[in-house]
Amino acid sequence: MQVTGMLYGSKLLKQVGFPSAEVLGSEASDAEIKELIERCGEVFVKPIFKGGVGKKGKAGLLGRAKDMRTALAEKERLYFVEHKHGNATAKANGVTFEGGVPADYEVYFSISDSTRYRAPAITLTHHGGTDIEELPKGKIVEIPFDPLTGLKSFVIANALSDLGAPKEIVSPLVQQLPKLWDLFHLYGMTTLELNPIRMTVSRPGYLSPVACDFKCGFDRDDPRVARANLPDDLFAADHSDFEQEINQLRTYQGQSDVYVINEKGTILAPTFGGGANSLVSEGLGDDAIISSDFGGNPPYAKMREVSRICLKYWLAQSNVLFLIGGKANNTDIYITFRAIADSLREHFSEHGPAPLYVVIGRGGPQVIRGMGYFKDTLDALRLPYRIFGFDSAMTDVVHYAQKADEWMENGGRVEVGKLLGIPADDARVKPRKAKK
Amino acid sequence: MKKQGIQAFPNYFVGVDSLAQLATRKDRICVLNILGGESRTVTPISHAYSGGNVLFGTSPGRAGQVLETAVGDIPVYNNVREGMEAGHRFNVGVVYLPPAGVRDGVAELIRVNSDLEKVIILTEKVSVHDAREIRALGQQGNVDVFGANCLGIADSWNHVRFGGALGGDKPEETLRKGCIAIYSNSGNFTTTIANYLGLSGWGTTTLVSSGKDVYIHYAPAEWAHGLANDARSKGAVMYVEPGGYYEQDLNLTKPTVACVVGRWKAKLTRAVGHAGAIAGSGDDAAAKEKWCMDQFGVDEIFTPDNPVVSAQGAVVINISHIPAALTEVMALNGVEPDFPPEGNLELKPWFGNNQGIKLPTELDLPIVKALSPYDDQIAAIGKSVGTSYPRQSMKDSSGCSIMDAKTQVTKIFGRSILDLSSLPLESNACMVLLEQDNGPNDNALMNTAIAAYVNMMGDPALAAADAARAAGNAPNSVLAAATSILGPKAVDGARKAADVLIDLFAHLGLMDGTDTKFKLPVIKPTKEQLAALTGESADPKALAMLDAIRKRKASSVFTDFLHGIKGHITADAVLAAITTTIAWSPLMRKRVSRLTVYNLPWYIRCHALMIGVTVPGKEHKKDKFNGIPMKQIMESWTMTELAYLALANEKPTPEILFPFQVLLGLLISNGVGTISAQGAKGGVAADGPESPERVQINKSMVGFLTHTGFAHGGNGYEGIQFLIENFKGRGLDDAANPKHGLDLKQMAEAYATAFGDDKKARKVAGESVRNIPGVNHPVFKGKVVNKDPREVFIDELFKKRNEYNIFHDFYQNVAQALFDAGVTKNVFCVNIDAVIAALLLKLLWPRYISGDYSEASLETAAFTAFLFGRMTGCAGEIDDHMNRGRNMDTRTPASKVSYVS
Repeated sequence: MQVTGMLYGSKLLKQVGFPSAEVLGSEASDAEIKELIERCGEVFVKPIFKGGVGKKGKAGLLGRAKDMRTALAEKERLYFVEHKHGNATAKANGVTFEGGVPADYEVYFSISDSTRYRAPAITLTHHGGTDIEELPKGKIVEIPFDPLTGLKSFVIANALSDLGAPKEIVSPLVQQLPKLWDLFHLYGMTTLELNPIRMTVSRPGYLSPVACDFKCGFDRDDPRVARANLPDDLFAADHSDFEQEINQLRTYQGQSDVYVINEKGTILAPTFGGGANSLVSEGLGDDAIISSDFGGNPPYAKMREVSRICLKYWLAQSNVLFLIGGKANNTDIYITFRAIADSLREHFSEHGPAPLYVVIGRGGPQVIRGMGYFKDTLDALRLPYRIFGFDSAMTDVVHYAQKADEWMENGGRVEVGKLLGIPADDARVKPRKAKK
Repeated sequence: MKKQGIQAFPNYFVGVDSLAQLATRKDRICVLNILGGESRTVTPISHAYSGGNVLFGTSPGRAGQVLETAVGDIPVYNNVREGMEAGHRFNVGVVYLPPAGVRDGVAELIRVNSDLEKVIILTEKVSVHDAREIRALGQQGNVDVFGANCLGIADSWNHVRFGGALGGDKPEETLRKGCIAIYSNSGNFTTTIANYLGLSGWGTTTLVSSGKDVYIHYAPAEWAHGLANDARSKGAVMYVEPGGYYEQDLNLTKPTVACVVGRWKAKLTRAVGHAGAIAGSGDDAAAKEKWCMDQFGVDEIFTPDNPVVSAQGAVVINISHIPAALTEVMALNGVEPDFPPEGNLELKPWFGNNQGIKLPTELDLPIVKALSPYDDQIAAIGKSVGTSYPRQSMKDSSGCSIMDAKTQVTKIFGRSILDLSSLPLESNACMVLLEQDNGPNDNALMNTAIAAYVNMMGDPALAAADAARAAGNAPNSVLAAATSILGPKAVDGARKAADVLIDLFAHLGLMDGTDTKFKLPVIKPTKEQLAALTGESADPKALAMLDAIRKRKASSVFTDFLHGIKGHITADAVLAAITTTIAWSPLMRKRVSRLTVYNLPWYIRCHALMIGVTVPGKEHKKDKFNGIPMKQIMESWTMTELAYLALANEKPTPEILFPFQVLLGLLISNGVGTISAQGAKGGVAADGPESPERVQINKSMVGFLTHTGFAHGGNGYEGIQFLIENFKGRGLDDAANPKHGLDLKQMAEAYATAFGDDKKARKVAGESVRNIPGVNHPVFKGKVVNKDPREVFIDELFKKRNEYNIFHDFYQNVAQALFDAGVTKNVFCVNIDAVIAALLLKLLWPRYISGDYSEASLETAAFTAFLFGRMTGCAGEIDDHMNRGRNMDTRTPASKVSYVS
């Protein structure tokens, strides 16, 4: 859950009275843009990406205009521009026009939680506006502070002293930067980064910090995020329809975290527990459709609903339904397995049978009752399966599931389909899997 | 006085110097939110395992309650202060609060109890905001914090665990005494690793589940220090996930195997499960592998094929490789396993089925006997018959029916009643109990059973019904009076016989009760079993039933079996054979419980009785029922036909039978919230479903019947009355004839105008406006043209069959005319009640106009039709509640009721 850019950044900064560059959205009229150019001398035209898009790969995605013609040409160029970095591609949907802020100094400032100090920490330099990773030690500082007292002026003053910052920027930063702690701490953020803050002359002889770019991450487990009043769809681009549907069930009681790894995958593997999730995601790689953690003893109704949604989206393309976890401490295996088995049965009765091989590996409370229930369901649905005890190495069970996937891909689907009365053409797999 | 931290950590507070001090027998615990769902399951096991180390728990508003455990009750107080005022002194706080309450709970523990040393937080999804404050609170108060999102600490030497469920529900099985310490970011893997180590001969000392939130309060640095000072621990296993710098520059002085997972996670852009397991640029899995390899002086990852280890340790990326790596590392240190290996990690399928498909060898793994005690549990499951359900409060809940609030369509076991309405009553009566439709064979058997018991000549239940009728009672009270008499003793014979049949056939591989070609071994019932199936003299009813089954050409493995028994088979045995045949397939597939099949004869008898006593006593004769020869009824009549006969005193023609069947189908259920279903469920709850043998099914049926009445069930007549008012004297002969010659549009307009005038007049007079029965619905409203989807379904169903119903047509005209006349602001829907009224009136119209059937009779018929449909649905609710519910679970807590003066 990230917000980048000034469109929403300036609104958030306004909540705590931190000055920010003037910004107009895509809907701004020509007159408004013209007025902004006249007032600020120039405007920066930036594409709007929903969610988090880092700095890297953004070269060329910034327009600069001192007249209307250029501003509109840049708008046209950047409105639907694509940003590619690594495997990730993001498409812009709109632009912002940000008033230029003349300045001699550019400050980098961020707050995040440091696992080295196990405390919130600020990172600060007056050599901002660039990639701070490249700055040598001494030109940038990281200072932890006590969250119970908060970010106080003296923390900033000490940091600026350590940096040997020019004296004209010290006082305005000492006055203004502590406000950002309120935004960070009281609005459920996990990171807040302003780069650059441009130190502009607000009145003769006095500099004032103006935030010219904004980036923050929100903690999705923190209800304080709602205080920001951000539109719901702002984070929607982070999630597929499937993820969004599952996320609606997200409560603290029983985790329901999912991530679509490969929408062309062929192993549907709901996993239980963060550890199993890491191990299985690692082992299955691109074979897996989703990466998930449904541990934490979810109640029957929730597990059944989660399972129903998984099956709705992915069963048709799955060769293998793979349920895997370690030896559970507290998760009632009977309840979770009964919920999944019931939803599988329900899915078959609503949508008809589908060729599937089922592989299960699990231990924990009520494991035999749970396995027994699943066994009976699979026998009733006439699906081939193996259910492994918790004394089988989890990674070997993962490999077994992959072998089953391979067999299903190469003729197994037709054979299982024949058993279920599905015509071979319908049972046969269409080429879907992404080449590894 | 402020506690001193250990000197090894001058920059921050750490109180625990050795792993041996983490979880000891001297630690005394207070559990916050002790009565919460997770604690309620886990705390009693931890408490008993640890010799009773929990002094008290808190749960605001529940002071005075206790948490029961095997070693005594744990008292509950409103808050920590009250617990301390009661004299309890503790040094460990365990937090099971919901996420929003965790920070305040930790603050309470620290501020109120100066003796506090450790806090363990189990809760998942604690916000980072609160975690950073908790860290600061712990540091300020000089308290060690563990978690959040962890599973606590366990000590296999001290036999202690607190704050979590390490080792699951049988901690002693996994927490084996040995020389290896475990530190794990994953709670589940803490137990799984201990389990894997045990199979390879390694036991454990202290196990720490650290959690994997952004803030890890008890981190590897502190743990490594404690490990160094713990003489019991000769080696260690550390399970690490990406994210955070906690493992960098560790000072590990004892041989350790680090399992670092999550290289693949670098592809994810947000955490799944463990909130802290998302890496930045320098703290991903690859970086952590490097830190650990540098620590141990190895340059490659350990795998069984490439066993790279040093005396300091090894790095694995596969949890299954931990035991092998550890054994090699420890061997270099001259340390042997703690006990002989107890198994291995090879693939061991405990269950499997190829379903007849020839699988490749690598997939076709043979089933392996599970390790003890799981082998016995698997054997027991193999012997168990049918399914069983966990018990829970079933107030306002049902595993049988659910009404979709949007469409108002009720589903029974996932099947819409609209679809079920196309099936005959005999099929639906079984479906609500057995989760599957009857085939023709099952229907033939079911019809025989109902036919055998509708004639109740000489039965006191019939006399009770007649007496109730004579006293002017409505049909529900008449049926209730009779049903009360059909107590457990009346059906014990059939239930015992069903039990015997299940015992005799359950483990023979028979999957279908109608599969008479199945090769059965010779079955030899015991004397007692034979006694449950036979009587001292010939039972004419049994013979008639067997004969009828033959005539209906129905097959049954169980009736065949009865034929082979020497002796006089009882009617109870034949009834049991019938019900067991129908239920056999779902029972064997564990779709239904044995309890349901055991009670099936009782439900059937209740249904037969309700149909039977609807016919006055004088019509029950030795050879005739309501004028029809019994022989004919036994050999060919269906339950649906008998229901119609009871209702209308005539045999339905095929033209009548289908709409009648649809009518009954629509009435099966309106979900668990209906008063009738609530009455039925209340009947079960009051008897106590946790002792199902004491639940009186007939009484619960009475509960359903008494929870119907003129407003619920009897109101179907209002629609009929409305139609009669509009059609009386118009010369309509045949309601099924589309060329009826009436101008329905004009009739509807006239009605709408009159209704509009009346409405205006009432408004002027300040009176409330009356509703038109069957028009409008609180859910299906607000559109320009509104439709009740159930009405649409039925309308289309009959249109497809080319069956016309003038009353239904009229209703649709009225809805339109009301709008056209400006009486309604949009076109109101014709609702399902209108459909039911139209269906029934169409069936009975010829009798009504001939004078043969009074309006009072119509009212009784409408009410009774409702009861016939609903009796099947309520049987489903009763059975569901009996299988899943808890004693008295339908009651409303005193806090939720109100007093009105």
